[in-house]
Amino acid sequence: MSVEAIFKALGDPVRLEIITRLSDGSSYTIGKLSEDLGVSRQGARKQIQTLASADIIQLHPAGRETRVSLNTESLQQARLFISQLEQQWDQRLLALKQLSED
Amino acid sequence: MQNSIQREITINASRERVYKAISDPEQVVKWFPETIEGNYAVDEQPVFGFGDHGKNQVFIVDARPHEYFAFRWVPGGNHFLGDVLSVDTTLVEFRLSELQDGSCKVSLSETGFASLPAEIAESSHEQNSGGWNFMLGRLETLFAGD
Repeated sequence: MSVEAIFKALGDPVRLEIITRLSDGSSYTIGKLSEDLGVSRQGARKQIQTLASADIIQLHPAGRETRVSLNTESLQQARLFISQLEQQWDQRLLALKQLSED
Repeated sequence: MQNSIQREITINASRERVYKAISDPEQVVKWFPETIEGNYAVDEQPVFGFGDHGKNQVFIVDARPHEYFAFRWVPGGNHFLGDVLSVDTTLVEFRLSELQDGSCKVSLSETGFASLPAEIAESSHEQNSGGWNFMLGRLETLFAGD
């Protein structure tokens, strides 16, 4: 799964709210997770599916229920991507400094 | 995990000098892309060349001497050729300010990795959940526990 896809999946308020709820590390049933999101159950299910497709969350069948939990690896990957870009910018800015101070 | 990059550097040179190094196509290739094809000017889409690492077409958003320069691109200097405005991009901004001793502070930001709707800041989601920053704070805590 590409980081671009991860970031894209994060770019929606309902999906962010879902991640926020999961970010304490616990798992929810789809029903519980869909409550009070400000969208229909179908709408919530669709957003959950989008997050699952981007590998940001994992779905685990548990009896008749499906439980949802956060895939921290994907989010770590996104964070790693950002920190690599930070290092790139630091190198570039250092090169800008050297050029300007010559 | 975050939605933006913020970096700062202090340069012992005048703001005018630093602005020129960023905005002059003959200067910028000495520290950033190796080559520039096309017109390096506002509203234009020149192509940054990174040697073996490929080419990246960018869109120059704004250039205000000697304080501000901004462009949009596909982040990371990854290979991209095409209409920059038709794809997901990040906004790269350079802000220059003069310090008391005559040196120049450069503040670099790259924003928009998760293309959040602008209205989220005012939305009820923001009030309910504390929004993006709150969530990231919680994620940091989660990662720290790994």
